[in-house]
Amino acid sequence: MDALVRLDNVTKRYAGGGAAAVSDVSMTVGDGEAVAVMGPSGSGKSTLLNLIAGLDRPTSGSVRVGAERVDMLSETGAARFRRGQVGIIFQFFNLLDDMTVADNVLLPAQLGGQPAAKARARVDELLAALRIAQHRNAYPARLSGGERQRVAIARALVNRPALLLADEPTGALDTATGGEIGELLRDLNSSGQTLILVTHNPDLAARYASRVIELVDGRVASDPASSTAGGRR
Amino acid sequence: MRAFPTVRATRGGLTGRRLQATVIGVVVLATSAASVLALGMLVDSNAPFNHAFAAQRGAQVAATVDTSVASPAQLAATTRLPSVTAAGGPFPVTTVSARISIPGQVEQDAVVPLTGRASPGGPVDDLTLQAGHWPRAPGQVVWSGQGALSGVMTPGAQLTVTSVPGSPRLTVVGIATSVTNTGQAWVLPAEITALRGSGVAQMLYRFSSAGSTGAVAADIAAVRAALPRGALIGTPESYLTVQQLQATSIAPWVPFIVAFGVIALVMSVLIVVNVVSGAVVAGTRRIGVLKSIGFTPVQVVAAYVLQVAVPAVVGCVAGAVVGNLLAAPLLSRNAQVYGVGKLSVPLWVDVIVPLAMLALTAVAAVAPALRAGRMSATAAIATGRAPRPSHGYAAHRLLARVRAAPRVVTLGLAAPFARPARTFVTLAAILFGAIAVTFGAGLATSLNRAEADLSLAQSEPVQVQVGGPVRQSARPLVVPGSTGATAAQQRAVVSALRSQPGTLHYVPETYHQISVIGLSDPLSVTSFGGDASWTGYGIVTGRWYTGTGEVDVNTYFLTATGTAVGDTYPLRSGGRQTTVRIVGEVFDPGSRAEAFMSSATLAAIVPGLTPQRYDVGVQPGVNVQRYANALSATLGPSYFVSVSRDNSPVFASVLVLVGLLTLLLIAVAGLGVLNTVVLQIRERVHDLGVFKAIGMTPRQTIAMVVCSVTGIGIVAGLIAIPAGVALHDYVVPIMGHGAQTNLPAAVASVYRPWELVLLALSGLVIAVAGALAPAGWAAQTRTALALHAE
Repeated sequence: MDALVRLDNVTKRYAGGGAAAVSDVSMTVGDGEAVAVMGPSGSGKSTLLNLIAGLDRPTSGSVRVGAERVDMLSETGAARFRRGQVGIIFQFFNLLDDMTVADNVLLPAQLGGQPAAKARARVDELLAALRIAQHRNAYPARLSGGERQRVAIARALVNRPALLLADEPTGALDTATGGEIGELLRDLNSSGQTLILVTHNPDLAARYASRVIELVDGRVASDPASSTAGGRR
Repeated sequence: MRAFPTVRATRGGLTGRRLQATVIGVVVLATSAASVLALGMLVDSNAPFNHAFAAQRGAQVAATVDTSVASPAQLAATTRLPSVTAAGGPFPVTTVSARISIPGQVEQDAVVPLTGRASPGGPVDDLTLQAGHWPRAPGQVVWSGQGALSGVMTPGAQLTVTSVPGSPRLTVVGIATSVTNTGQAWVLPAEITALRGSGVAQMLYRFSSAGSTGAVAADIAAVRAALPRGALIGTPESYLTVQQLQATSIAPWVPFIVAFGVIALVMSVLIVVNVVSGAVVAGTRRIGVLKSIGFTPVQVVAAYVLQVAVPAVVGCVAGAVVGNLLAAPLLSRNAQVYGVGKLSVPLWVDVIVPLAMLALTAVAAVAPALRAGRMSATAAIATGRAPRPSHGYAAHRLLARVRAAPRVVTLGLAAPFARPARTFVTLAAILFGAIAVTFGAGLATSLNRAEADLSLAQSEPVQVQVGGPVRQSARPLVVPGSTGATAAQQRAVVSALRSQPGTLHYVPETYHQISVIGLSDPLSVTSFGGDASWTGYGIVTGRWYTGTGEVDVNTYFLTATGTAVGDTYPLRSGGRQTTVRIVGEVFDPGSRAEAFMSSATLAAIVPGLTPQRYDVGVQPGVNVQRYANALSATLGPSYFVSVSRDNSPVFASVLVLVGLLTLLLIAVAGLGVLNTVVLQIRERVHDLGVFKAIGMTPRQTIAMVVCSVTGIGIVAGLIAIPAGVALHDYVVPIMGHGAQTNLPAAVASVYRPWELVLLALSGLVIAVAGALAPAGWAAQTRTALALHAE
C-alpha cells in the first residue's frame, strides 16, 4: 500500500517553552487505510492531527500528504491543501450557526471555486447518503448531535478529499449515536476513503480502525507498522 | 466598595484590550482638539479686539474739533464732564500732500493725514510701537502699522511734503498701531505748526458708560453740548464701529470650524459608545469570572468605567494640546492684526473642553457598564462572546443564494446583520466622516475659488503701477488723493504693453473716493478706461457694467444703502452729481463700500483723473514672471511692475486647517470602523478558525472581513453626499456674511457631478481603510489557535 501520509521526525513545541507537544514522531498512513491515533489527554493526538491538516506547523521534521510537503506550505498553500485534499471532522462539529445545513456543506466547494451546479449536486448527494437531506434548510442549532456530526462529515467530504481527519468524532455524542457515526466512518473507509481517527477511546479505535498508533507524552508509544515504535530513535 | 480590586481589574482590562484603549484615546483626542479649536476661535472672534482695546486703553470716541471755534479751555472742560473717565488731546492734526519714498519701491504721491502727539502713551489710546522709536526731533514721523502701506512702509522711508513751501522732509522713524485707528501718521505737535496746521485737533475720550451704541451716542451728545456750536467736525467715531469691522477678520472662519467641531463631537460619542459596548460584549466572559470571584456589581461598573476613563483622560489632555497647536496660526494672525503680542486659546476653554469630553465619555460608558454589572456570573460565562442568536440568519441565507458574487463577499456582506445596533452606530460614524470629507472638499474648492476671485491672479496677473502708492494686490488699496499718470507716462506704458509679446489685454485703472448719500464712509470707486469685463471680478448677481452710467457695487454697498441690483443711485463729488444704475453685485468682501465703473462714468462727477495703473492679462502659456520682468526692463525704474499670486497666507492657513480637520475626522471614522471590525473578529474568531480549517485562504479572509464593512461604507457614502452638500451650502454663505458679502455662484455651488460620484466613495474608502488592518490580523491568525478560542 502506497503511503498517503508520511511524518518524519516531527516535533512541535509551543511558544512559552515547556515540553514538546509532539516529539520526534515518524509514521506513515497508507492510501485507503483507517488509522486510529490513540492516547490520553495531553498526549499530543490533536496536535498531530493539526500538523497533518496544515492547521499548525511543526517546529522540526517533515509532514507529507500525497505529493505535498505540508510543513513547507504558505498560509495560502495550506488553505488550498485543506480545501482540496483534506476533510476535517471535529469533536464539537464546528458548524457555522448562522448558515443552513446545505450552506454549511456547500461552503468548502464555494471557497474552492467549484461550479455552482456541480457543487449543489454534490451536496444533495452527500446529504442523501448521510440521511440528513430533510434538514438541508435547517440551522445546525435545531439538529441533534448525531445529525450535526453527519453535517460536519458531509462538509468534510464535499470536495472529495484524499484524506479524512476525525478529531474525537464521537466525543460529544451519546453511545448509540457515536456508534452510528463510527459505522459511517467505517463505511467510508470501506469505499476507499483514507481515514485518520484521533480518539482516547480504545473500543472506538479497535472497532473502526485497521491500525492503532498510540501516543504517550507526544511520542509514539506503539505503532504496528513501525519496528522502531515504542523506543527512542 | 474596595478600590484595590477594581483598580487591578481595570489595569487587567486595559492591558488585555490595548487596541480598544488606544481607539478611545485617539477618538477623544481628535474630538477634544476639534472642540478646543472651535471654541477657541469662537471666543477669539471678539477677544483680540477687546484685549487690545483694554491694553491700549482705546479711545471710545475720537472727535475732530475746530480749534478756531473751541478754545483750549473749552476743550479741557469736556475732559471733566461727569461721564468722561479719561481723555487725550487736543492733538493738532493736518493733512498734507507728500511724495513717499520707500527703499526698494517706486516713489508715490499721497495725501497723508498727520497727528501731532508728544508721546505714544497717555490715559487714552496708548499706542503700541511695533518698530523704531517715537519722534524725538522735528522731521521725524511714525507711520501706522494698520492703514495704507501697512507691511510696505518701513523705518527709513522719506516723506517729502509737497503741499508746504520748501517741501520739508519727514523721515519715518517708527511703526505704531492704534487699536481704533486714530491716525495714519504721527509727528511731534510742533511739527504740525511747522507744516501750517489747519486749526483742527483730535480729542480722544473714554466714558463711564459706553457699552452700547446708544450709550456712546449719549456720551457724544454730552461732549457736543459742552462745546460751542460747530466745534465738532463731522460725526465723532465710535469704537463700536471699529470693533464690528475688526471682528469680520475672523468671523468668516468661525462657522466652518464650529461645523467640524460638532461633527467631531457627535462622532466621538457614537464611537465611544460603540467601543465601550463592544468591550462589555467582548468581555462578557471576563465579567462572569470577576463576579464569580466576588466582584460586586458596583465594582464591575467601576472597573469598566475606569477602563474607558483612563485612555479618555490621556486623550482629553493631548487633544487640548493639539487644539492649541492648530489654533496657533490663526491666533497669531489676529495678534499681528491687533498688535497685541501673543494670543492664545483662553484657559477656561482648555479646562472646560477636556472636562466636558471626559464627562461625555463617562456617560457613554455608564450604560453598558451598568448592563455588565447587572449580568449574573453564570449567564455571563455562558453567554461568552458569541453573537446573539437569530440575528442575521436570513441575511446569510439570502446572500448565500447570490451567484454573481464570490462566496467570501456574500459572507462578508451578511456579517453586519448579526449586530444591527453596532452596525447602525458604525454606519453613523462613517457617515459623519464622509460628511466631513464632502464638506471639507467643497469648502476647500469654495475657498480656492474665492481666493482666485479676490486675487484676480488668473485673469489679470500683472499690474503696472504708474501713480499712487505701490501695492502687491490686484485689488485697489490706493491712498485717496494720489496722483495719476502723466500723458507721457500713459503713452510709455501703452507702447510697452503693445510691443511686449504675450500681452492679451490691458486696461487703465483709476481709484478715487467720493461721498455717497446714505454712507458715513466714502465710497471707493475703481474706474476703468476701457473694457474691463475680463479682469475677473466675481459677479454675485447681475452683470458687469457695459456703458456710461452703469456701475457694479459690492454687497456692503447694497446693504448699507438699502439698494438692489437694478436700482438707480445718485453719486456726487465736489458739487457735481450723476445718477448711476446698479447693474451688478461684485464679490468684494469687507466693510468698505466699493463701486466699479467706466472712466467716463466717474468723469461725470470727478473730471480730469488719469490712470494710476494698468491691469494686464497675458496670453495662455505665457510665463507671468518672465513677462513681468521683461516689461519692467522695458519700462525702467520709474514704473513698478508687479505680479499677483494666489498665495494669500490667510487662505493658505485656513485651507491647511480645513485639510487637518477633515483628516482628523476621517481618522476618527476609520478608528470607529477598526474598532467595530476588531470586535467582530474577536466575537467570531472561532468561526474564522472554521473557515480557515475548511480552506479559506488569507486573501479570502481579508476579502470577507473587508466586505463586512463595504456595504455600510457605500450606504454611508450615499447618505453623506446630500448631507455634506447641504452642510456646505448652509455654512459657506454664513461665512460670506461674516465677511460682509454674498457669494458668486461659482464660490457657493462647487460640486460637479463627477466630484459627487468620487465623494460618494469616501464612505467606502473610510470603511475599507478602517477594516484593512484588522482583516490582515484575521488572515494571520493561526487556524489551530482560532479553533480553540472561545
